[in-house]
Amino acid sequence: MAIKINNLNKSYNNSKVLDNLSLEIKEGSIFGLLGPNGAGKTTLVSILNYLIPKNSGTIKIYGYDFEKDYKTIKSISSYIPQTYAFYPNLTAYENLEFFGALYGLKNAALKKRIQYCITATALEKFTHKRAATYSGGVKRRLNIAIGLLNSPKIIYLDEPTVGIDPQSRKYILNIIKEINQRDNITIVYTSHYMEEIEYICDEIAILDNHTIILQEKKDLLMKQNSFVEIKLADENLSIDVNNGYEELLEVLGQLKTNNRRIVDIDFGNKNLEHLFLSLTKGNLRD
Amino acid sequence: MFKYILKKEFLLISRDIHALLVLFIMPTVFILIMSLALKNTYSSSIDVKLNIALISEENKDITYLNKQLNKSSFFESSVIHKDNNSVDTDLKELIYGKKFDFIITISKDYKRKINKNKKDFNIQIYSKPDIQHQNYLMLKSLIVENISKQIMSDYFIKNKINAKTLATLNSKIKKSYVYKNEKFKIKPTSVQQSVPAWLVFSMFFILIPISNTFINEKALGTVSRIRSINVSFIPILLGKIIPYFIINQIQVILMILVGVFVVPLLGGDSLIINGNYFLIFCMSSAISFAAISFALFIANISKTTEEATSIGGVSNIILAALGGIMVPKFVMPEFMQDITQYSPMSWGLEGLLEILVRGGQFNDIKTYIVYLLLFAFCSLALAYILLIKKEKR
Repeated sequence: MAIKINNLNKSYNNSKVLDNLSLEIKEGSIFGLLGPNGAGKTTLVSILNYLIPKNSGTIKIYGYDFEKDYKTIKSISSYIPQTYAFYPNLTAYENLEFFGALYGLKNAALKKRIQYCITATALEKFTHKRAATYSGGVKRRLNIAIGLLNSPKIIYLDEPTVGIDPQSRKYILNIIKEINQRDNITIVYTSHYMEEIEYICDEIAILDNHTIILQEKKDLLMKQNSFVEIKLADENLSIDVNNGYEELLEVLGQLKTNNRRIVDIDFGNKNLEHLFLSLTKGNLRD
Repeated sequence: MFKYILKKEFLLISRDIHALLVLFIMPTVFILIMSLALKNTYSSSIDVKLNIALISEENKDITYLNKQLNKSSFFESSVIHKDNNSVDTDLKELIYGKKFDFIITISKDYKRKINKNKKDFNIQIYSKPDIQHQNYLMLKSLIVENISKQIMSDYFIKNKINAKTLATLNSKIKKSYVYKNEKFKIKPTSVQQSVPAWLVFSMFFILIPISNTFINEKALGTVSRIRSINVSFIPILLGKIIPYFIINQIQVILMILVGVFVVPLLGGDSLIINGNYFLIFCMSSAISFAAISFALFIANISKTTEEATSIGGVSNIILAALGGIMVPKFVMPEFMQDITQYSPMSWGLEGLLEILVRGGQFNDIKTYIVYLLLFAFCSLALAYILLIKKEKR
């Protein structure tokens, strides 16, 4: 197991943020962590990266004890925040050089690793330009490149595609997939974009009310939660097709009989969102 | 690793044009302006003499008085003959139109009246309301001195008293400075005061780039990223302190060079450095630690760069006003001079003045160094406590 968490608890001012949370993440997987705002995703990722202390519970990362072996754990982990966590007035190379040095790399080893990170995230054209001049997509790639400097075994990606165009998003998702497949890096991926999670993750967990309410392999989850969305002029219908298509055919027949015009039919694209909303009750979270 | 931490910080500062302006251009401009503007305050003469219009009917006594006033290094006098029009009508024109600083109206037979003990005469001095009171007092004593001289001279001639020595009495009064250090005889000039004053001020402005970098690091998540890396707190802290310490020392060298070479080019006095360079370094190091620690404290109490710039900028200006940077301490009333003792800028300035103006030794500046280091440690401790508190939250 890459990560094994047992009965993790965290409170702020007597208010529970994580309540007896237990979770296991397999080595080499891309693990999607979903949850509404305030569910505790960022708190969980922050605890796993030693940014905030936990109250109780046990954590093991690649078999290492979270407290005793924190130096080893930090050296094999990489945290890629949601923000552009680098210096905009430095070039990509200068940023990589600085963070690489913090990871203890020097001289030829540092240069070699920087070159690898630049190639892995396709930053060649931007190496010597200041980061402040980059587009959102290139900034995201530099954020990821910095996270690869220490040759991590596990990467925590906190909403890495926020605020970028669909082309850049697809490009970044493919980079993440490549990194995972080529180096067998475990990736913990938090996002609000269901289609991203569906696209890249092997396993998904939904965090709500301070604990994990569902953890399942993506393929299995998709098979179990198939819906067809029918969009009419004045309403939307959602048909459960987990147990076959009879109900769908019946509804389509009724719509034809009643002369109802179908605007659009969506076969399966909203499955995860459906599941997410039904599990988290669809209430607005502030 | 440390090399790259320093490199990063230097690159960030060198690319921050606003920080460079505040750290290097602002003090240069202040030193130039204040050295030239205050030149006369420290000098025994002034470049532009004050103009006097002596209004009277011409006779030899008036001519004599006019001649004596012109001998002064501070005044340039000319006689204007009184006509039949009212003097009051002409006053505004003479002061605001013809730019006379003082107008003296005096009756031509003043000497005769004094000799006869008559009291029905006046010497009236007019000026703009904003004229310096010291200048008025100086003019008044000059008039009294010269009229007295005329009267006494007449008396001595009449009574055949040889008083040639009395005529040279003025030149017999000599001024000498008592120097603390006999090897160090520098006359205090405006540039000797301005360079250390604005240097200390600009060193404390290091808080602008420090707090901006620090707050941006927090806001952008760079701090979180660094904390998730297996790197100890000490090199990160030193990586913040050392580059700014070096920048402060570069400020010291550059501002001294401005005082030595640039101010004289514009007509000011040259900064004379006779003090011990090592003592200057000790003093500037203590000021630098105080300024950097204060900046880290401000960076920790501010949420945004705007907040840090406002809080830091205003606190620096208040510390400068209280510390004798903007107004020299010796022109302040006693209670204000007492208050300056509580400004770290005053400790820095007094220490530098002790070396640059009075040729002081380590014993003379050690108290200021201790105060500055105590201030630095307190600021650093507060910054650290605030940082830990925020993290726990």
